[in-house]
Amino acid sequence: MNQAIISCLHANLPAVEAVLKDIELQGITNITCLGDLVGYGPQPNEVIELIRDKKIPTCQGCWDEDVVDGLDACDCSYPSQLAERRGHFAHQWTTDKLTKENKDYLANLPYSIRKDKCLFVHGSPNSQHEYLLPDMDAFAALERVENARAEILFCGHTHQPYIRELADGSIAVKIKNAVPKDTQEKEIQLPMRRIVNAGSVGEPRHGGTKATYVVHNEVTNEVKIREVEYDIELTCKAIIDSGLPPIFAWRLKNGFEFAEQAEDASHVCER
Amino acid sequence: MIERWALVSGLKGDLDTYELIQKDLKKTPGNISLFVLGDMIGPEKNCNKLLHRLINPKSNDLQPWCIYGWWEEQILLESGYRGDQRAEALRINKGEELVKSLTNAVDKSFLDWIAALQFGFVELDCGLIHGSSKDVGENLTLETAPLTLLDRLTRLQVNRLFTARSKQQFHLELKEGIVNSEVEDLNGNRKKEQKVPQKAVIGIGAGKNYTLYDVGTDNTQFVQAGYKSEKRIKGFGRL
Repeated sequence: MNQAIISCLHANLPAVEAVLKDIELQGITNITCLGDLVGYGPQPNEVIELIRDKKIPTCQGCWDEDVVDGLDACDCSYPSQLAERRGHFAHQWTTDKLTKENKDYLANLPYSIRKDKCLFVHGSPNSQHEYLLPDMDAFAALERVENARAEILFCGHTHQPYIRELADGSIAVKIKNAVPKDTQEKEIQLPMRRIVNAGSVGEPRHGGTKATYVVHNEVTNEVKIREVEYDIELTCKAIIDSGLPPIFAWRLKNGFEFAEQAEDASHVCER
Repeated sequence: MIERWALVSGLKGDLDTYELIQKDLKKTPGNISLFVLGDMIGPEKNCNKLLHRLINPKSNDLQPWCIYGWWEEQILLESGYRGDQRAEALRINKGEELVKSLTNAVDKSFLDWIAALQFGFVELDCGLIHGSSKDVGENLTLETAPLTLLDRLTRLQVNRLFTARSKQQFHLELKEGIVNSEVEDLNGNRKKEQKVPQKAVIGIGAGKNYTLYDVGTDNTQFVQAGYKSEKRIKGFGRL
């Protein structure tokens, strides 16, 4: 049985509609959303209402949290002061636009969703703000999955879809100078675990312009990354018309990596 | 001259123990640096004399380098140094009386000094902290999963992590770590074998139990304050 995992919708209604259509065409009815329904994009209420109407189980993303609780990310989250100003402007714009009902909906989203061996989060099990990038330290990546007591961790936040398998791990542990005098040494086998990043529906940052999401077969454990075309011009026009920073439209249209993300992606936001 | 670190924690206002440690260290060969990894205060006894001594060392004292620990965090929370938060976890788990005992044990004039203490030190390739690089209240012990220990080392980007929160004394080495990583994305597949160099987590003990670390040889010695001199008096020689 296939399940679809979508993330980082970012108030981009044409992209969300196109992805949901693609999921429907494959006959998939089991969908999980990893948050960031809002932020950057021009249709926050419309996207929230679509997800609510379809009763898609959703985790709270960092933007969803920040819109409700106030900006929560530490200043490491932006690569420049200019990017930070744009981010704060989009935050305020979104906060002003959202209806009370939709804010309440975002406020009540869970941090994580667990289904058997699968854990669904926005950033990482530690924080909605932590980036699990595809090439991060393999031991740290394994720790995130293992300490969350999952076999497969589904996440988003980076806007870069990937499937990472961590296998054949081991580590030797030696106790030196113990009290009472003792020296023990043992080799510990590390479990095989997977991290699946769903990419982004509404603001791709993988170098292309297509919306991305993933399909997971719960029987075979096979995961496929899907790319979906949508009417980018429509979203770009809505961004410009709404008064949001034009650079948000520019990067959607060009598919360039211009992410408002931490320069040190391994940094764990402690706030 | 041998470079040694003396790592102390959990004094909880006990000036007598601190003086015993200072006495020990004067007899310890080498160039000694003294690090006090938190929990200088606690609710059991008045801590003012110890705090005064740490801030104003006697002329023949080793200069202590202090960081804050779990009890310091509690008093800072309770005293409004952490915004609107208060020491609710302590209050719920141990009761109002203990919270009062803690605040009564420390004169308010010391709070600014406590608030200015750092979370930890990074010396050479070593992290010196009270709990872990994730949380001042986290216990790292021999039973902690190796992946968790590696993560706490990675967060500080150090090869050795000295921790005090568990009160235990141990020296645990992590070595020959290996994991295979395969990433598939829209650009294709890539495989990588990642190895981890030898790393260690060292529990330094608490109160009279402290640790000497020989920087040059990476050896630890777990010491009980006053024990060496007692042994000598009884004629058993040096440890």
